[in-house]
Amino acid sequence: MARYGMALDYKNCINCKACEVACKEENGILLGADKHRIWVGVKEIEGEFPLLSIASNTFMPSQCQQCDNAPCQEVCPTHATYYDENGVVRVDPDKCILCSYCMNACPYDARYVDDRTVTVDKCNFCSDTRLARGETTTACQATCPTKVRIFGDLDDPESELSQVLREREHFTLKTHLGTEPKLFYLI
Amino acid sequence: MDLQKIIPYRKMSLKELLIPENKFMAFVAVALTALFLIGVGIYLVHGHHAYGVTRQHPWGLLIAVYIFFVVSSTGLCIVGSFGDVFGFKDYMSVSKRAIFGSIVTILAGFAVIAFEIGHPVRMMIYNVLSPGLTSAIWWMGTLYGIYLTFMIIEFIFLVRNDMKRAKVAGLIGLLVGLAAHSNLGGVFGFLNARVVANGVFYPTYFILTAFITGIYLIFLMYGYKYRGQDFPSDIAKALTNFMKIQGLLLAILMFFETWKMLTGVYGGMPERADVIMHILHTKSFWLGEVLCGMVIPFVLILATKGSAIKKMVWASFIGMIGIFYMRYDLVHDAQLFPMQTLKIREYQLPPSFVEYFPSSTEIMIGIGGVGICLILYYLGTKLFDLDTMPEHH
Repeated sequence: MARYGMALDYKNCINCKACEVACKEENGILLGADKHRIWVGVKEIEGEFPLLSIASNTFMPSQCQQCDNAPCQEVCPTHATYYDENGVVRVDPDKCILCSYCMNACPYDARYVDDRTVTVDKCNFCSDTRLARGETTTACQATCPTKVRIFGDLDDPESELSQVLREREHFTLKTHLGTEPKLFYLI
Repeated sequence: MDLQKIIPYRKMSLKELLIPENKFMAFVAVALTALFLIGVGIYLVHGHHAYGVTRQHPWGLLIAVYIFFVVSSTGLCIVGSFGDVFGFKDYMSVSKRAIFGSIVTILAGFAVIAFEIGHPVRMMIYNVLSPGLTSAIWWMGTLYGIYLTFMIIEFIFLVRNDMKRAKVAGLIGLLVGLAAHSNLGGVFGFLNARVVANGVFYPTYFILTAFITGIYLIFLMYGYKYRGQDFPSDIAKALTNFMKIQGLLLAILMFFETWKMLTGVYGGMPERADVIMHILHTKSFWLGEVLCGMVIPFVLILATKGSAIKKMVWASFIGMIGIFYMRYDLVHDAQLFPMQTLKIREYQLPPSFVEYFPSSTEIMIGIGGVGICLILYYLGTKLFDLDTMPEHH
């Protein structure tokens, strides 16, 4: 029993997209622009040469926010979306009826239709791959060359994640919606 | 078991049943149903890839058509209930036909949604085995299932002229139908992330527009039945009353819409004001929703003081086109604003409104639903006496 979360030291991201590749490889995500569990958002440089705003050019890795109060779970008519024992928001493909309500309800665009199972899929912190094998890291975290991602147990005060959240300022996305995300962006 | 004892129907040969008096309508109904079947065939081969829906716009035309049909059903249920549930004598003559209409429209809606939901059989199983009670879709679907059951029971009692039992079944069906329909509004109203849809508007708006749709449809049904001839006096009386009620309802709808748009734009709030401004720049809103759905019928009602019931049949046809646009737009508008989280450029263009246009398969299944509705309605008019009502009850 844990409560998994992730911190993203997003300013370290170099947009190499190794995390996206690792996620696809580890979890067997199909190819295609719409088929992704995680992504790196690119904000282009603003302004015109020579007055370019270097500060505006950021890379923002993102994915399912693993909300503690997930709108996608709340709207699911068949409990196909559920919280597992580690607080990870997951989809049971046997119960998913593909009504797509969760895709509409998710404020983060974190869900897509997986053509392998013809059900809705999303990031589950590698719960049915790496964590199921007893590993303690996610694929995106393990592969990141600049150590953007810190995955761990929020309930364990000694975890690296808990420590970094105690020491560094951070924010969550669309906090005002009350979704209580478990992805923290380090400032 | 003798079916005739359960629900009295006209006995006729298959040939008699299948030879329609109006060849043109028969052709339209069969052609549309054929389109439906072709669309379903393509869907069964290609799945959702045959549709224009995307990750960012997962709900498309078929959701809109489903809503169109269930709004029609709820509306006809309300219209039919005036007579047999509430006992207003002036409306008694249209009850049976309206209740039958509510059954065929919801069946057409179910036929369409069955090919939008990815796993309809699984839905029936897990709706029962692991109900998601916080889901508006669960409540909407379940309540509509119960609603359909009571509508059928009510209709059976109506055909048997058992007005007492029809009244009880009708009241339950009406209440469950209103609950189901407002839950359908809640499906959109509960979307906290979609500012333009979130809130109390849709659950109430759905009931209001259902009533309006029901009146348009009752005009269409009787306009078709008495085409080229005068309405009988009892029908004319009911329709005249409904036309006046429609004037009031359309006025309320225009008032609602005006304030929805004003509050949406006011203050320039991101995600709300820009979406509303976008809607206000679309032809489908002004020509479809406003002109066809509200203004043309409303002007006719005002200009004739609610007496031109023959002209209202045509205005109702135009009104139904407007109602379709209302359904289509509400589904599309709710998804207009991209939910991108910092995906500024990678997988899509910089922030702009999400685009969607239905695929040919979606269009075939969507308008094909009308064909199913017409065929079921035709069979009903042949098999059942939809007009004779007992004098007193």
